[in-house]
Amino acid sequence: MKAMLIDSTRCLGCRGCQVACKQWNGLEGEETSFLPAQKEAAPEFANRGYQNPHDLSAKTWTLLTYNEVELGGRLQWVFGKQQCMHCGLDAEDRNKWPACVVSCPVQALEKTKEGPVIWHTERCIGCRYCMLACPFHIPKFEWDKAWPSIRKCTMCFDRLAQGKEGFTEPACSKTCPTDAIVSGERDELLAEAHRRLEENPGKYYQHIYGEHEVGGTCVLHLSSVPFEQLHYPTNLPDEPLAVNTSRAMKAPPYVIVALTLGMIGVYSARRRKIESEAKEREGSGHE
Amino acid sequence: MSNTLIAEGKPRVLGQFVLWVLLIVGVVLTAKRFLFGLGSTTNLNDSYPWGFWIGFDILTGIALAAGGFTLTAAIYIWGKKKYHPLARPAILTALLGYIFFVIALFIDLGRGIVMWRMFLPWNWQHESVMFEVGWCVAIYSTILVFEFLPSVLERFKQQNLMRLWEKLTPIAVIVLITLFTYAMTSSPRWAAVIFAITTLFELLQMIGVVPRSRPVPILLIMAGVLLSCLHQSSLGSLFLIIPHKLSPLWHTPLLPIEFLLSAIMVGPAMVVFEGIVSARIFRREPELELLSGLAKAMPILISIYLVVRVVDVAVRGAVFNAFELNPQAVMFWAELAIGSALPLALLATPEIARTERGLFWGSLLTVAGVFIHRLNVSVIGIQAHTWQSYSPAASEYLISLGVVAGGLLAFRYIVRNFPVYGESASRETA
Repeated sequence: MKAMLIDSTRCLGCRGCQVACKQWNGLEGEETSFLPAQKEAAPEFANRGYQNPHDLSAKTWTLLTYNEVELGGRLQWVFGKQQCMHCGLDAEDRNKWPACVVSCPVQALEKTKEGPVIWHTERCIGCRYCMLACPFHIPKFEWDKAWPSIRKCTMCFDRLAQGKEGFTEPACSKTCPTDAIVSGERDELLAEAHRRLEENPGKYYQHIYGEHEVGGTCVLHLSSVPFEQLHYPTNLPDEPLAVNTSRAMKAPPYVIVALTLGMIGVYSARRRKIESEAKEREGSGHE
Repeated sequence: MSNTLIAEGKPRVLGQFVLWVLLIVGVVLTAKRFLFGLGSTTNLNDSYPWGFWIGFDILTGIALAAGGFTLTAAIYIWGKKKYHPLARPAILTALLGYIFFVIALFIDLGRGIVMWRMFLPWNWQHESVMFEVGWCVAIYSTILVFEFLPSVLERFKQQNLMRLWEKLTPIAVIVLITLFTYAMTSSPRWAAVIFAITTLFELLQMIGVVPRSRPVPILLIMAGVLLSCLHQSSLGSLFLIIPHKLSPLWHTPLLPIEFLLSAIMVGPAMVVFEGIVSARIFRREPELELLSGLAKAMPILISIYLVVRVVDVAVRGAVFNAFELNPQAVMFWAELAIGSALPLALLATPEIARTERGLFWGSLLTVAGVFIHRLNVSVIGIQAHTWQSYSPAASEYLISLGVVAGGLLAFRYIVRNFPVYGESASRETA
């Protein structure tokens, strides 16, 4: 499967990836501002004074976060990258689908066998269940439109699909000047990530974010500090979130059959009882 | 005919006026929402994609429609014929509840006009809880139309159509249930199993091995109960996939069971509440004897729900979250105290449960409890980003009120023009 490896220790914070993303996907610019006081109060922004814009939106599919972190006695920026994690390592097994894909009632979201999770707007009914389900807060909605779409990073699936040389990797990794973002096959990138952790144990926080989170994702992150300092969700299980619903979704046929048989049984028994009681009363009435 | 319809006494002009105003305001705001998008009329945002409309119009609305299936189950399947006079109002409430629920859903969905895509076989996605919810709504609404049709046919004295209805309904039900099972499983085998069971049961009734229920085909009632159970529980299943976002006070693998149990609990409460209120509005005497008979089931139903809820919270260790000082903990206690413990105490006291006032408050509090629970699960218990918060916009409340006002006006119109209350509606017992 295609994947991306994002190594924040190599990131300069140039935000070329953000610009490349907007260019390739034809996304409008956003009017941005530094943090208003109301947002400063929120824990996510306690150490993000330079963060701008504040979050992903329907117009911003990837975002570099500027986290002020104390590292080796100095205050430093550690950059995080927000974008779709392209969860799931198995496009065939519905029990391992990403939360957004398994929750969509019309298959508007799709886990492709190539890896990227993409959306088919023409199917979407706008229920926004994918937004609720996503553990990374990724799918965004066009709140200001009369005919809105769900939008998010597609790992530049349209570039991958073209497959021409030099046109196969996502716009953000293509543009990254320091190879902080690289793309390739997931197992190769995972091996590379492990190699970096082993060769430089002091430089890296010993965890590959995305190796196991929610069953494994196609986007892998490395960082010099624990990931909660970058405000990545760290309360996620190692199994796909789909297992939570798949148990419940296996129930309907059994419930349908059991309940129907049960009701037929109760109805028949009760009718017999009521009718025999009525007959008894009738009988005693005649005597 | 006229004596079977409800005479309203003096028209309640003011109440009606208010409802019409609310309806018109709702329609205007809804127009704004469709012209300028959800952002123009709601405070919903990317961290809180679901808000008051989901919690109130949809989750609470559907729970409150549970009177339809609980009562018809008690009357037709269990054979409690004495409650028959309450059946038609309950079915009408459920039908209108579902119709107005679909309208509310249509307003809430970003692209409601294309809802039907859910029913195209090449879009089927039976692993999605939302898919099950959508199908339950569609099929159960159809079942409710079938259940209410006798009132319409009676009104227009269509005896022939009535006989046709009686003949065709079981066939329609078998087709609907088989189709539903197939959509839920994509398995022809399961569809064949349910087709065989229902067809066999119908045949057994035809040859008289099993007594036939007349005039209402029992398969219709069973299908209503079946789809309601699945629908009520699947609304809870919607939230299974967000253990990381929903507070442990509400997130549990038992969510579907808790949603179902609370719907069964609020079903009779809603019938009682509505029986008292509509009697007062239409200046009749409420059927207190019937209603308090029904209310006898409520302490049991509330207790079952309460025990499951409390044991679940305790066993999962979430009980510690209840002693934190935050809005979630407050709403948790409000839900259990006001919505379950208090009505349980009221309705379990025979002296109180016999009086109209006691029944009124007991049922109202039960309804409120379910409302708070649904709101807690869908809005208050959700912890997404902390920098974005959500509290409903005025226009969200107003559009919801408009939907409710529309429902009440439709209810009033139908009750005045169709045999819902009164002799004809309850002739089976007469």
